[in-house]
Amino acid sequence: MPADPHSRRPAVGEGPLTRVALIGLAILFLAAFLALPLAAVFSQALAKGVGAFMKGLTDPDALQAVKLTLTVALIAVPLNLVFGVAASWAIAKFQFQGKSLLLALIDLPFSVSPVISGLVYVLLFGLHGSLGPWLRDQGVQIIFAVPGVVLATVFVTFPFVARELIPLMQEQGVEDEEAAIVLGASGWQTFRLVTLPNIRWGLLYGVLLCNARAMGEFGAVSVVSGHIRGKTNTMPLHVEILYNEYNFVAAFAVASLLALLALVTLAAKAALEWRFADQIAAAKR
Amino acid sequence: MAIEIRNVEKTFGAFTALGGVSLDVRSGELLALLGPSGSGKTTLLRIIAGLDHADAGEVSFDGQDTRDRAARDRQVGFVFQHYALFRHMTVFDNVAFGLRVKRKAERPAEMDIRRRVDQLLTMVQLSHLATRYPSQLSGGQRQRVALARALAIEPKVLLLDEPFGALDAKVRKDLRKWLRHLHDDMNITSIFVTHDQEEALELADRVVVMNHGQIIQVGTPTEVYDTPADSFVFDFLGGVNRLNGVVDRGVARLDGHPVRVDGEVGAEGPALIYVRPHQVELGVAPADGVPEGKWSARVSMVHAAGPVARVELDLAGRALEAQLSRDRLSDLALEVGSWCTVDFRHARVFPAKA
Repeated sequence: MPADPHSRRPAVGEGPLTRVALIGLAILFLAAFLALPLAAVFSQALAKGVGAFMKGLTDPDALQAVKLTLTVALIAVPLNLVFGVAASWAIAKFQFQGKSLLLALIDLPFSVSPVISGLVYVLLFGLHGSLGPWLRDQGVQIIFAVPGVVLATVFVTFPFVARELIPLMQEQGVEDEEAAIVLGASGWQTFRLVTLPNIRWGLLYGVLLCNARAMGEFGAVSVVSGHIRGKTNTMPLHVEILYNEYNFVAAFAVASLLALLALVTLAAKAALEWRFADQIAAAKR
Repeated sequence: MAIEIRNVEKTFGAFTALGGVSLDVRSGELLALLGPSGSGKTTLLRIIAGLDHADAGEVSFDGQDTRDRAARDRQVGFVFQHYALFRHMTVFDNVAFGLRVKRKAERPAEMDIRRRVDQLLTMVQLSHLATRYPSQLSGGQRQRVALARALAIEPKVLLLDEPFGALDAKVRKDLRKWLRHLHDDMNITSIFVTHDQEEALELADRVVVMNHGQIIQVGTPTEVYDTPADSFVFDFLGGVNRLNGVVDRGVARLDGHPVRVDGEVGAEGPALIYVRPHQVELGVAPADGVPEGKWSARVSMVHAAGPVARVELDLAGRALEAQLSRDRLSDLALEVGSWCTVDFRHARVFPAKA
């Protein structure tokens, strides 16, 4: 029997040309909009050699910016981890009044421009704000200080963990928890031994995303920080200052460090997914 | 353990799941809660387990009110419809869960927990799968893990929500027998929920028939099957022919001929005559007309696969189903299009709904 030229083609699907065109387009798009800028960051950072690159990084102000960024992430991520788990637990497992209001509130930081988020804090805690004068009398400074930066970051990264967990927990339902309770488990045991293991992968994704955003946030932080060098500058702010001063090598050096942190986050996620692929698949069943 | 349920009510929004239900569950019996979906049977089971609160009424275990006893302190074994096995734990850890979460003072030593779990896994014939995860098991195996897990805490009551609902027919029959033996060996009070009348009638000591949040009838399988309380129970417990007739001066009649009726005939006027297919008697139609007091019908279909033959008939424009033995069928030599006489051994009459 002569070979049927159609037999190699899948019965359902596009022709080879269409397929190549579509895949090519996707790759081209990714290269142009993601890979190219990333490459540009690193090449610019190293444009004047490793020495200049290191100098940009080890500048005391830069080091202070790195330290502040890590501190802020270290505060904001655990806070939003706890809040995110609590909120999704409440929303997914219980029926109560005002549930949709809570859902809408969780989405608020996503829907509001980060600049507005920053301004809200300035209006609240700034010197001309409603609580500002009182806070000043107590000797507490929030705006143009580290607490303001932390608050703005917490606000902006608020939805990441909850948004990741709510659909997952809703899909899993409450049967497992009920089973645990009937078997005599306390609320805490149920959470620790049943709920938490069921959501751990979603939780990890949420935390990674939350962390990436906490370190990279610009808009809201920019409004509340006051850009005080070596004091309230986070890495993204520091990059901007250096750039505005035409100190391109230093700007891109810090930017490349920020990009590297993001890449490490992605790599960690991919590695975990690969390592625990079977468990993730089992958890979805 | 005996369970007394008194006037239990439960509503979800505008929906009345239970409208004042009272029931006595005897110690050591295997009780079926039977009803269509939405009849409140699962809600009742969950209230007994403490997973839902009753809006009103009370549930007591051996005379003790359970209102202040949380689900975790009730010592009930609950088998969920979809098993709710902990997917990140092995079969062994699933079964051990109830023992490991006990308060420190009551918790057995790890060695005793091992012994007890091994024992349970042997009992449900799953020792060889102890290190597997639930996703690696078949439906029947998961079901047995769920049972072993529920039994690990030595419950006084075993509650099962549609225990065989998610299994295929063959596995279902095997597990049914196995569960019956298990119940008898364990000396436990068991209540299971089902919408499958065959399952309820075959497995249970007593059957509770529910509809629209009410208990319609309680009795042994024979009682509810032979003397159903109303047309709903009659209908729900098996195949039935519903024929439009009349009650005229205390006699039920179908096409003018009187029908032999068990129990009350009921009010005068239009009535529904209920006959089970195996109570329909078929006979050879004589050449010279139909004998007095009998009906004649034409055969429209014969299903002769299995031990019992089913014959579909056309009785003056009404569809009628009869069940008879294969021998009887060949004696009558019925085939599609042939005529036969029809009589009813037992029938019940219920008033026709307006």
